[in-house]
Amino acid sequence: MQQNKINFVKLLQGYKSGWVGINPDFKSVAVSGKTLKETRKKAEKINKKIYFFPAGESYGNFIGKIVNDN
Amino acid sequence: MIIKYSQLPNIKSKIVLAPLVPITFANGDYEFSTFALVDSGATGAIISTVIAEDLHIDWRKIPANFGFSVGSSFKSHRYNNLDAEVYNHKFRLSVGIVEGISPHRCILGQADIFKRAKITFEGYKQQFEIKFRELN
Repeated sequence: MQQNKINFVKLLQGYKSGWVGINPDFKSVAVSGKTLKETRKKAEKINKKIYFFPAGESYGNFIGKIVNDN
Repeated sequence: MIIKYSQLPNIKSKIVLAPLVPITFANGDYEFSTFALVDSGATGAIISTVIAEDLHIDWRKIPANFGFSVGSSFKSHRYNNLDAEVYNHKFRLSVGIVEGISPHRCILGQADIFKRAKITFEGYKQQFEIKFRELN
């Protein structure tokens, strides 16, 4: 069994701040909002699990391997 | 379960590859789903105060301890009654609720996921493997 790459670069494109709610297939954003509270409220109307993640941050200090995007 | 490293945005034209897993926390009736960094160098799990508050954990009432990371120290509040679910495996979690870190910060470490599963990093393939142990 394999979990394919979750591409947050693509998912978060167009979201410069706030929070997003990501669909459980991790391929698209279901809801977004200025705050987590607002995003969660929008997600309550959707009858499936939503994964919350902030937008507009630089994740360079999240201890990862930095590579060129090409 | 083989999991490809996730791509995260960084400064312009760069990306960060990181071993992340989708995770759902439950504090009684309150749930929060997000993504956690699997960090073999972390002593144990931490979450941000933003996540703690969304889970209705009144972290300000929990006495603070101090922890240390590579470049600094941090203030943390221990909470022992959190449940977690990763790839359909549920387990009880003791987390440090850390003040002053980015809202998304969520890390699993040696005291939790590394006790529940055999984890093999294959950086050259940009992937890692999690095999959960069968525990009673």
